[in-house]
Amino acid sequence: MTQSTDDQRPGRFDPGDAPLQVFDLDEPSELSRRRFLEAAGFSLSLAAVGGCQRAPVEVALPSPVQPVGAIPGRLQYFASTCAGCPSSCGLLIGTRDGRPLKMEGLPGHPLSDGGLCAVGQAQPIGLYDSHRLKGPLAAGKPAEWDAVDRAIIDALKQTIEQSGAVRFVSPTITSPTLLSYLGQFLGQFADAKLVILDPVSHSAILDAHEQTHAIRVLPHYRFDRAEVVVSFAADFLGTWISPVEFTAGWSKHRSPSEDSPQMSYHVQFESRMSLTGCNADRRFSIAPQEQGPLLAGLAAEVSRLAGQALDEPLAQSATQSYQPILAELAHRLWDARGESLVVCDSQSVEMQRVVNLINHRLGNYDSTLDLKQPSRQRQSNDREVEQLLEELKDGNVAALLVADVDLLHDLPGSKTLTDAIGKIPVTVSFAQREDEFAAVAKFVCPDHHALESWSDSEPVSGLVSLTQPTLRPLNQTRAVLESLAIWSGQPTSAYDALRSHWEESIFPSRKPDAPSEPLGFWEQTLHNGFAEVEVAEASVGAFEAAAVLPLSEPDVTEDFSLILYQKISMPDSRHAHNPWLQELPDPVTKVTWGNYVCVSPEDAEKLSLSDGDIVSIAAGEEPQQLELPVLIQAGQHKSVLAVALAYGCKGTNRFAEIGPQWLEARPTVADQEQVGKNAAELIEFHNGTQQYLRFGVKLKKTGRQHELAATQKFHSLDVPAEVAPYGASHREIIEHTTLGEFAKDAHSGAAEHHFDGDKQLWPEDHPKPKHAWGMVIDLNRCTGCSACVIACQSENNVPVVGYDEVRRQREMHWMRIDRYYTGENEDLEVAHQPMMCQHCDNAPCETVCPVLATVHSSEGLNEQVYNRCVGTRYCANNCPYKVRRFNWFKYPHDDLLQNLVLNPEVTVRSRGVMEKCSLCVQRIEAGKIEARSQGQPIADGAIQTACQQSCPASAIVFGDMNDQESDIHAALENPRRYRVLEELNVRPSVSYLRVVKNRDEELRHG
Amino acid sequence: MQQRIITVILLIGLCLGLSLLASAMATWRMPDNQQGYAPEQPIAYSHRLHAGDLQIDCQFCHSAASSSRHAGIPSSDACMKCHRYVTAPFDQMQHEMRMADEEGRKAKTIVSPELQKLYDYLALDENFEQIQGAEPKAIPWVRVHNLPDFACFNHQAHVGAGVACQTCHGPVESMERVRQYATLSMGWCVNCHRDAAHDGIDGHAVDATTDCSVCHH
Repeated sequence: MTQSTDDQRPGRFDPGDAPLQVFDLDEPSELSRRRFLEAAGFSLSLAAVGGCQRAPVEVALPSPVQPVGAIPGRLQYFASTCAGCPSSCGLLIGTRDGRPLKMEGLPGHPLSDGGLCAVGQAQPIGLYDSHRLKGPLAAGKPAEWDAVDRAIIDALKQTIEQSGAVRFVSPTITSPTLLSYLGQFLGQFADAKLVILDPVSHSAILDAHEQTHAIRVLPHYRFDRAEVVVSFAADFLGTWISPVEFTAGWSKHRSPSEDSPQMSYHVQFESRMSLTGCNADRRFSIAPQEQGPLLAGLAAEVSRLAGQALDEPLAQSATQSYQPILAELAHRLWDARGESLVVCDSQSVEMQRVVNLINHRLGNYDSTLDLKQPSRQRQSNDREVEQLLEELKDGNVAALLVADVDLLHDLPGSKTLTDAIGKIPVTVSFAQREDEFAAVAKFVCPDHHALESWSDSEPVSGLVSLTQPTLRPLNQTRAVLESLAIWSGQPTSAYDALRSHWEESIFPSRKPDAPSEPLGFWEQTLHNGFAEVEVAEASVGAFEAAAVLPLSEPDVTEDFSLILYQKISMPDSRHAHNPWLQELPDPVTKVTWGNYVCVSPEDAEKLSLSDGDIVSIAAGEEPQQLELPVLIQAGQHKSVLAVALAYGCKGTNRFAEIGPQWLEARPTVADQEQVGKNAAELIEFHNGTQQYLRFGVKLKKTGRQHELAATQKFHSLDVPAEVAPYGASHREIIEHTTLGEFAKDAHSGAAEHHFDGDKQLWPEDHPKPKHAWGMVIDLNRCTGCSACVIACQSENNVPVVGYDEVRRQREMHWMRIDRYYTGENEDLEVAHQPMMCQHCDNAPCETVCPVLATVHSSEGLNEQVYNRCVGTRYCANNCPYKVRRFNWFKYPHDDLLQNLVLNPEVTVRSRGVMEKCSLCVQRIEAGKIEARSQGQPIADGAIQTACQQSCPASAIVFGDMNDQESDIHAALENPRRYRVLEELNVRPSVSYLRVVKNRDEELRHG
Repeated sequence: MQQRIITVILLIGLCLGLSLLASAMATWRMPDNQQGYAPEQPIAYSHRLHAGDLQIDCQFCHSAASSSRHAGIPSSDACMKCHRYVTAPFDQMQHEMRMADEEGRKAKTIVSPELQKLYDYLALDENFEQIQGAEPKAIPWVRVHNLPDFACFNHQAHVGAGVACQTCHGPVESMERVRQYATLSMGWCVNCHRDAAHDGIDGHAVDATTDCSVCHH
């Protein structure tokens, strides 16, 4: 660790000693031209001499006592469990000098299989956040833990004496140890209950299984076994339950090869445009009320094929045009029975029962849906939440403890509860920052950040994993488990609690090949990050067909229907303080900083709305209105509005001045406002579940405007007819084909290039004798989830620039995901393409740099040398891929705590220099040095770029193209391989694999 | 005649002036060239004694040099491996032991003032036990070799390639107080890389490229 001091060195020029002549500028007549030039010359020379001073004195502080195994400056990895959401993916924490810096996917993890989403990767900047609570609060004022504990214990004693009701509210808890301590804590009280409140609930799926299979569990969906997937609005590649796991499973079936031209078939029925819909083989834009009839129709068709035709239709029949589609789909599902999967995100229990019926008829239970070893990733029970709301309103709760969720922000109707909550004798919040509930809670006992604490997780029955701390807590925070243990009268540390719980409960169920000693088992699990254990299978009842009842008709009105959804970059309000996630463009809309109302193009035309018009939406009789800017979203069904949840969080006005503050800068957050608006008020309880779909929503224009900060606005692959030259109405940036065509000709879909690649302007005098680094991205596996964007930001110290700079198209992400639309309405195709520096062999940027700040390396990399760059920006203008980023400002690094997130291997760029993707050259160099010091050649796969490492779909292959045995060499031979803008003959080192859609009919060529 | 004398005097003056300028130029350095920088350190640690007289290997203390980008300044507890027993210059300790033997008393622990600073930083009492309630503090060594932030030097690569420590750091074993031996300028680095790529190091070929991104990333 180094730090600067103010020490003066000998020989250092001190401007204070220099004689200075003072001119009175008020009297210009005194200042003759000659005197002015003298003064100007003197100040210039003063500046020149002043600039020649020696570097500031730096102090190097070695740790007084070296931790065992720690090597200064060396990256060390620790296996752990991600705490970004209850999906509990495997996490590999890269730490350097005791600082966790880089979150990576844990290779070989049974669920996430080496992938990690954007939210998981963005954790470090949340850790080094100076806005986290420094210690406990009592009545809103900083307090000591001892005093807070005494007060809480006294208050809880009173609750016991008066037999008051105790409610502990939390999102799904997957930690078996915490659950056991929670049980112990709640056991002290006569009336105590754990209420699971997930920011977005999946209660209906659990309720439906309780009715059809007599067990209230969430099935463990196995997309890795599914050959045919039908999804009714479930965004399983984006936000639904466990997206990283599902993406990994889904993408396993998305690589058709020349030898076996086969891939899965994925159909999506949805009303808004989701990431999963973008990636489906066939996507149908449906009205929300059509979902029931379609499900019922599919159930009828599948039942008929199974020889168990339904006695009566489950709903009125779907629109006639869908009948042949449903019949064909049922056949496809039936042919793949046992290897198919139907999923639905509806919060209607009766619809989920129909989904269960379809999956049961197809024999998918025990293969693609596992109930015997169910998932524990979402445990919400909305009936209990609704009951809690009633109890709170009636004032029947004596003690309310809330962990990891903002009760007053995430729960509908909670605004009216503020007074009722104020009257509860004991209110405890475990929030890490002062959220809305913490602001009214009597005690705030802040929890550690996940990277500071010991914990464990059991995301799926039979899979246990450990979370280990990678640094000492930065603040006076305390793990929830430790707080509960103290209040139960049995203080313990989280580590001891884990050890004893594991020894008693988890060690006995170890697999036969696991170490036979508790310590050995613990150490092995800690090293690997997870362990598989043997658990008794859950007792699943026989399928109860009688439970599947006809669907009730929704109360549809002429007005709009509203869908409340999770944004991929902001799944819940806990991440609202994360600037990386706030500035991550949504994969579909490409908008950063805030939420908006997605409106279909038809409605926008009808109401003459344009992007950025502020509209007010209101549902039912409620007086509250939500005012948000409009975003016109292609592919959205007409009369449908969609608004993202988890915005408008307390304290996000801190981001007002993020980014450069210059003369024309506009604040990221308006005065007294938050980033986005909270749409949770529009959730309603209906039939015991929280509904994220509402009918009868009114929309009104306000006449005001708010420009949305989008990183991509009008990028369509179709060139307008009036400007397109003959035969060039379509840009060949993303190449498509269909599976049928691919099976006939593996090169189908290739663009026709009318150029001769052998003719070169430059002589071939740049051999790459040692290595030739290159990358291949499989666009058929890539979903556009944007995990790589954050991976790159974290690895390469990419600054956050704020709303205003993004609006000016000055975002700094080295890696961007381009989203392209082709076609319209039903034919709409969406493609996502990760785009970063293509490291061209004939790089156009290199020839125009006047100072040789961007040059080619002997290993095929296009290098950007920051200390040489003078900022002419010629290179960016000459780059056909538009991947160069210019530092218009010195982006703020004033927050010293936040600076701990910076990767010391990568230079922090200063104002006026160009930057761009380096193919993680620091990792290449580290890999080369490591291999050399072991005397070995670099093994294929030993060097991974940041984007490649965490890709949940394993879509990115990186390696040495000179190595004939490498994966990248195989990928280069792939018939689907093409290079973007190949006709420019810039010879990029990055290539892509063509998209193949599993479809029979001809696609628009492109 | 007079003119010629004046010319000769002027010429002599010019030569003298030039020679003075030349000698002044010899010590003139480019801005940010820190060659010769030898700051005073919080503890007057002598590399001449440890690395020179006692011949302790460089990597005994700077153990990270072969496995990390930093050579690493040893943590204070590494000093205690020896200085738990060696508390003062050897002759002083020997003298005290001899005196104690002669006087038939137990030898006193003589602590040199510089080592006392080490014990103070580590918060150790006279029996080398941790003082209750005191935390060991890091010794604020002043950094001698300090590259700009945009240059990434890696010790592991150079030590692994067989570059001797002295190539860059000079005869540290003869320095009482460490001083910056080389200019550590880019030209100096590149010269060595070019030579090594051409001639190898100690006869074996090395991969010393001059690609920019090797150091600048």
